[in-house]
Amino acid sequence: MNHNSVGDFGGVGKQVPVVSSSLRPDPLRELREWGGERLVRGKRVLDLGCGDGRFALGVASLASRVDGIDPDPEAIAAARKNARESGVRNVRFRVGAAQQLPYSEAAFDVVILSWTL
Amino acid sequence: MVHALREVRRVLAPGGILIDARPDSRVLAHAERGAQRFGNLSTNRTELANDRWADRAVAQVVLEKLFKRKRHGRFWHRIPFDSLAALRQYLSEHLRFVHRAQWVVNAATRRRYANEDFVIRRAVRYEILEVRPMRPGKLRSEA
Repeated sequence: MNHNSVGDFGGVGKQVPVVSSSLRPDPLRELREWGGERLVRGKRVLDLGCGDGRFALGVASLASRVDGIDPDPEAIAAARKNARESGVRNVRFRVGAAQQLPYSEAAFDVVILSWTL
Repeated sequence: MVHALREVRRVLAPGGILIDARPDSRVLAHAERGAQRFGNLSTNRTELANDRWADRAVAQVVLEKLFKRKRHGRFWHRIPFDSLAALRQYLSEHLRFVHRAQWVVNAATRRRYANEDFVIRRAVRYEILEVRPMRPGKLRSEA
């Protein structure tokens, strides 16, 4: 078994329900696969369809600011709770739809659709 | 989906990038024990159709010259299970996969190793698209 491939979320598939973002790849591993930290380092990032904040919180330490948006109020409540618990300060979550983003023009350097489209 | 991608274009700064990452339903996922493949896992029809719509939406905004394709790739994601029963339970509730694996080993082999560690190995695709400069005179609402 390739330890790198499973180590980031060690054993999680054994205990948690199917509908869980924790069964997805680790955010930093995803970022490495896409091209590395330089993609978000110091950037304004929008995580579109952020769910419970898995990705947004995972890359927050690299980005200058991360916004997460999701149409599901329960997911956003979970994301805010996760942010509070992890002490991340540069992330904001809000309920909203991708078809009408509540942001001004040119507000972001990177938009991420991670398992969203 | 196209409308959402146009909104993404609007909120991205010049030179900004869009990263689209999702399970790659064009490639079969596998149920494996160690290096041995036990079964193939297909994506259900609804999700296959959704994926095709997403592909078309991305193609559309590229055609509209809102974005240009920069790079794409694929990697493999593994989800571990401590038994074949746990893997089957996962499949039975899964929203993307069909609920039954297409086994490539016989029932006796599955029984023999049923209590060992298994993984589902699935492909994840990604594409990086870069914002194209707005053409002079193009109305904002068109983008």
